[in-house]
Order: sequence, then C-alpha cells, then structure tokens
Amino acid sequence: MSDRPKGLVRWLTTTDHKDIGILYLVTALFMAVFGGAFAGLLRAQLSAADLKVLNPDLYNQFLSMHGTVMIFFVIIPALAGFGNYFVPLLIGARDMAFPKLNALSYWLVIPAAFLMFGSFFVQGGAAQAGWTGYVPLASRQFSGTAGVDMWILGLHLVGLSSILGAINFLVTIINMRAPGMAYFKMPLFVWTWFVNATLILFATPVLAGALTMALTDRAFGTGFFRPSEGGDPLLWQHLFWFYSHPAVYIMVLPGMGIVSHVLPAFSSKKIFGYKGIVYATAAIGVIGFMVWAHHMFTSGIDPRLRAFFAFMTMVIAVPTGVKIFSWLATIWGGQIRFTTAMKFALGFIALFVMGGISGLTLAVVPFDVQVHDSYYVVAHLHYVLFGGSVMALLAGVFFWFPKMSGRILDEKLGNVIFWLIFLGMNITFLPMHWLGIVGMARRIYTYRPEFEFWNQVASFGYILLFAGGMLLLYNMFKTLRKGERAADDPWGAYPLQRTLDWSVSSPPPVENFAKIPEIA
Amino acid sequence: MKKIRIFLLSGFVFFGFAAIGWADEPITNWLTSPEGPLARAVRSNFYFSMAAFLPFLILSEVLLVYAIFRFKAKPGGQAATFHENLRLEVLWTVIPALTLAVTAIPTFKTMRAMEVPPKSDLVVAVIGHQFFWEYRYPKYGVQFAEEAMVVPAGKVVTLNLSSVDVVHSWWVPAFGVKQDANPGRITHAWFQADNPGRYKGQCAELCGKLHAKMYIDVNVVTPEEFEQWLMKKKGAAPPAQAAGSQ
Ligand code: HEM
Ligand SMILES: [Cu+2]
Ligand SMILES: [Cu+2]
Repeated sequence: MSDRPKGLVRWLTTTDHKDIGILYLVTALFMAVFGGAFAGLLRAQLSAADLKVLNPDLYNQFLSMHGTVMIFFVIIPALAGFGNYFVPLLIGARDMAFPKLNALSYWLVIPAAFLMFGSFFVQGGAAQAGWTGYVPLASRQFSGTAGVDMWILGLHLVGLSSILGAINFLVTIINMRAPGMAYFKMPLFVWTWFVNATLILFATPVLAGALTMALTDRAFGTGFFRPSEGGDPLLWQHLFWFYSHPAVYIMVLPGMGIVSHVLPAFSSKKIFGYKGIVYATAAIGVIGFMVWAHHMFTSGIDPRLRAFFAFMTMVIAVPTGVKIFSWLATIWGGQIRFTTAMKFALGFIALFVMGGISGLTLAVVPFDVQVHDSYYVVAHLHYVLFGGSVMALLAGVFFWFPKMSGRILDEKLGNVIFWLIFLGMNITFLPMHWLGIVGMARRIYTYRPEFEFWNQVASFGYILLFAGGMLLLYNMFKTLRKGERAADDPWGAYPLQRTLDWSVSSPPPVENFAKIPEIA
Repeated sequence: MKKIRIFLLSGFVFFGFAAIGWADEPITNWLTSPEGPLARAVRSNFYFSMAAFLPFLILSEVLLVYAIFRFKAKPGGQAATFHENLRLEVLWTVIPALTLAVTAIPTFKTMRAMEVPPKSDLVVAVIGHQFFWEYRYPKYGVQFAEEAMVVPAGKVVTLNLSSVDVVHSWWVPAFGVKQDANPGRITHAWFQADNPGRYKGQCAELCGKLHAKMYIDVNVVTPEEFEQWLMKKKGAAPPAQAAGSQ
C-alpha cells in the first residue's frame, strides 16, 4: 500500500483493476456530460417546428456524435468500469489476469475520444452519417472531409480497447476464480461479463474489419461498398449490424447483471432462478448473433431472410422474458427496502419491459416497415439504452459507490434524482412512440408542424433529465468531500448473498484479499 | 408523499394512453384509415400482434407495481425464502414461446402479401436523389422529378426503386409502404390506393443535409383524371428531355 505512488502519478501509471475501473467510470461520466449536452442541443432544435438553433449540418453532426458517444464512450466504458472493478473482486482474485494489458485497454479510449471530439474542429466538422455510418453517405464521395476518417479511426481504437478487455475478462474468469468457485457459483454479474466478453470477442473484430474496408474505400479507392466496382452498400449494413446488434446485448447484459445483485440485496431474498438466468444469458448471447438483419427489413434483402430474422427476433424475446419474470419472482414475498439503488433497479425493470415489448413489435415485419427509421425506433432504442443500460448503471452507482469510495451517496438527494430521471425519461421518450406511428421520420432536423406538440413535451422531459443529471454530479462531489462513511457492508447484503465484494473493507485494499478466500 | 407518488404514476399512465389516442392532423392515418388492401393488412397484423404482446407488458408492469406496494419492508417482517420453482420457470418459457409462434403466422401471411403483388396495373420507377425523387413511367414514356407522383385510384401500382447517390427510403405511411432505394440495385414495393386524394410521406433514411426536407407527395386521382394528366405530361415534356435534373 505504502509504495503506491500518489496523486496524478498513481492514476497515470496504475495497473490495479480497481483504479482502472474507476478511470473507466470517471471517463464515462465525463463523456456522458458531453453526450447529454449534445442531446440537449438536438432537443432544443426540435422543441418547435422550423427552429434555427442548429443548421442541418450541425444537427447531423451532433446527432451522429450523440449516438456514437453515448454508445461507445459512455455505456460500454461504464460497464467495463464496473466490470474491471468488481469481476476480480467477485471471483476472489487479486487482479485481472493481465494488469498491464488492462491499463492499455483503458488508455486506448483516450486518443479515441480525442479523435471523436476533435473532429468538430476540423474543416467540414464531425461525421454526419449517423452513428451507423451507412455508405455511400459515409463514403469519400458524399462525406469528403476528415470527419468520417476520424470517426472510423476513433471507433477502431475503442474496438481494439474492447477486444483486449474482453480477452482479459475471459482469461480472468476462466483462470483466476478462488478455490471452490465453480462456474455455477459465480455471481450473476460475473456471468453476464463472461457472456459479454465472448460476444465482444466474436462481434467486435467484424466491426474492425468493416471499418477497415470503409477506410480503404475512402483512402485508396477500393470498392468494397461501391456498386461501380462490384461492391455493395448493403455489405456495410450486414457487417455493421453483425457487430451492432450483439452490441446492444453487450450494452445491456452487464446491466442485467448489476440489477441481479441489487434486487436480491434489497428484497432480503436470494435471486430467483439463478440457473435459469444463467441459461437465459447464454441463450441471449448465442441467438444475439442471429438477428442482425432485423435492422434491415426495409433494405430490400431476400424475403426468406426477412422471415428468418423476424422469427429469430421473436425467439430471443423468450430468454429475455425469463429474466424479467425471474426478477419479479425475486422481489415477490421479499422485504423490499427502497434505497435509491433499488429504485433504479425497479425502474430498470419497468422501462426495460417497455423497450423489450416495443422491440418485439419491431420483429413483426409489416409493422416494422411502417415504423423503421421513425421516432418509434428512437423511442424503442432509448427505452432499451436509457431505461435498460443507464438505469442499471445508476443502480450500480448508488449500490457500489460506498464500496469504491468508502462513502455513501446522499439518499435524500438520491430519491429526487431518481424521480427526476424516471419521470424525465418517460416524458421525453414515451411520446416518441406515437410520433413514429403517425409518421415522423427520424434523424430530421425539423418536422412538419403537426408533430409539434409531442416534440414540445419531449423537449420538456429533457429539462427534468438535465436537472437529474446535474443533481447526480452534485451528489457525487458532495459525498466525496464530506459524505457519510460507509461500513464494509453498508446494505447488509453479505449475510444472505455472500458475494465477496461485501466481505472486504470499503474501499478494498490493494490486491483485495489478504488471503484468497475459499468458497464453500 | 405516498399520495403524490400514486398521483404522479397514474397521471403518467393516463398520459401514455392519451398519447396513443391523440393525433393532431398526422401526415398519415394508416391506423384510423389505412389506404388500400396492403395497408389494411398491415394494420390488422399490427392489432393482432399488439393484442398478443400487450398482455405481457401489462402483466409485468402490474406485477411490478403490486410487488412494490405489497412487499414493502416492515419492522420485524420476514422475507420469503423460495428461490426456485421449476414448474413456474417452464411455464414462463413455454407460454411466451407459444404466443410468439401464434403471432408469427399472420405476420408471415402479411409479409407474403407485401412481397407478392397482385397483377400490376402501373409500373413506376422511383429514383432517389439528394434530395428529391424522380419518377418514371416506362410504359408511357413519362418522367419527371420534384413533383408529386400521380397514380390512378383502385389500381395496383408496383414500384421499382433505386438511387443515383446514397441510400434513401420511400415512405408513404398511409399505403403501408416503406422501401429503401439503394444505389446499384433495384428494390420493389407495391400499393393500391382506393380513394383519390393527396398522400404525404417523406424519405426515411438519413441521406445527408436536407434529409428532413425530402418529402414525398402522391396524388391519387380517378382513372380518367390520370389519363388526362398523362396526356398533358406527354404534351408538355417529351420524355427524352424530361426530369430537369438529369
Ligand atoms: C439525456 C437524454 C437523451 C436525450 C434527450 C436524447 C435524445 C436523442 C435524440 C433527439 C436523438 C435523435 C433522434 C433522431 O433524430 O433520430 C437521439 C438519438 C440517439 N440516442 Fe439519445 N438521447 C438521450 C440519451 C441517450 C442515451 C443515454 C443513449 C445511450 C445509449 C442514447 C443513444 C442514442 C442513440 C444510439 C441515438 C441514435 C442516433 C442516430 O439516430 O444515429 N441517447 N437521442
Ligand atoms: Cu433521401
Ligand atoms: Cu433521407
């Protein structure tokens, strides 16, 4: 402990999984401020018809960067942050398998972020082709300036970061479990990261390949995606979604893992159907690779493919449903304590069910054809990503903050934060379902006047979200400076759950355990 | 405090339903009056699947809210200890799976209807440009751009879509049609509008700066009016030099 460097040097040179976890989380929080600010600009522009807050070029830049940043620089790093901090702790290991590689994974995110944010300042501005970067719009011919190149290189770097991280997680989980910790004794958060790392390992290299092809098309005039050279723009869509569909599970599985710790802890019960949840997680991982073309139902793919992907999309709803019912059964008959973490976990269920069911309606191809690329999809994706990933992350923040900092976040403020975010989220995104059904296309900087009312409502919701976010930051700063000290097991979670995170001091010592625990 | 919460929650639920029932002159009304057999099939498929899925949404949310109020911790209260129940777990795997199998049937039927048009009365080539649409009626040697597409009511119109630059998507909600227009390949769609009128839509795939303004208008006219319109079009602009953009 004593020979650890202090201050800035510690954070720049650390290879301790806990420090790296915190670095990831702080980075994600910082990025979320930007991603959230971009969202605010979009909502400001859309708060009435024909406004001129942003011109179309800027709207498309902020739109593309909002999506990219939220996914690749907020949710994925934040989950990696919790993963880094807690996976070794939960399996009774002293660190990740490859601590230096772990540090490298984190540090790759920083130049990637510079490329992304820096692109606003180059000539022509940031990429404008959406976070999906569809070609030919993202090709040199239609996006000639450096923005898309920087976007591609930035994604390359975060992709590499995830792949290295995934290898590390897999080796750690396979090799470094404490004696006695069989696979079916691993806490669910570890399980979700296990499946998640596998997903990353299979999916992310495909993204890297696709990005490389796009880059050579742009830089060297190859024709992977150009019909005049025998290429095909649809190839990009297939490759992109082959990554990005599993990516939505990459963004939600660890969140489900967090929730699977929070719900039992505050219901004073064991998780219901542990094995069922494990199997469901694995099933989602496998089937998740067989649904990507449901993002392409209107693209003109072969009808037999449409039928297959519609069917598989329905199939994947089944294991997802199993999890939801298992969580409900977990709180059923419990003694529920409504801490802020628990509220976020319950809010997660409420919102994720909504996003799941709207996702199911999108598997119904004729309906998807009506609402694809409309605001219905914007509503759906935010119910999943905000209502799913972000709510779970916030549950994790309130749940694990005492473990990581030694201080408990203010629960009174926490209550206000929860309600601002929960109501704000619904007021912002619920009306978007209706907007999409009646015909408002997505990714538009302005709209016909008949869509104005619900857009005003949505923009009002953003104000609540903004207030909630600011209050959360305030709560963190305040708590770090003079918050109430946390016991080793502030929630009383250990006696029933026996997860090792609560068995060590808050914060845990360097190397976590004086003596590696034996699991009975 | 508790009252306020219940009030907020129920206000919120009400708000949700109000949102579904309310539309201020939407550009389409495929839900209230879908135009033509295809749009009607899409709507019934939508209602059928909603009827199948909504119970699961409502059931989960109701159970959740019930549990929140019912199982609040009480001093000295004892939590139940069950954490497994094979029968329950099989049940909540099998019932959703069966429901989905049942909804798949009408879905596949409607998909077939979308993919296999009845005998075509009019073929129109739809070509996407940044940021306008070009239409060609090969049989009549008519082509034009940046104006409303004109089609006869009650006839089967088949579309061959493509693009000269980036991906666009031709979307007229009232007809139940959305189909991407890709460079380098031709995609297909069809519709049959029964009632004359002006139908609106817009491009549904991000295609660049003015994507938001890439509107679609379709004038559905009586067959006689359609003939007149064709005559006028042919007289006014010989096909060889039509479509100002090309
Ligand atoms: C602060 C609350 C948020 C607001 C007000 C907001 C608002 C928006 C808006 C207005 C759009 C543009 C939709 C369009 O024109 O198609 C959008 C797109 C998107 N948002 Fe958010 N958003 C928020 C939070 C998030 C979060 C937390 C995520 C994280 C996962 C996220 C991910 C996305 C993605 C992936 C897109 C799609 C971008 C695209 O269409 O290319 N958003 N959001
Ligand atoms: Cu377009
Ligand atoms: Cu467009």
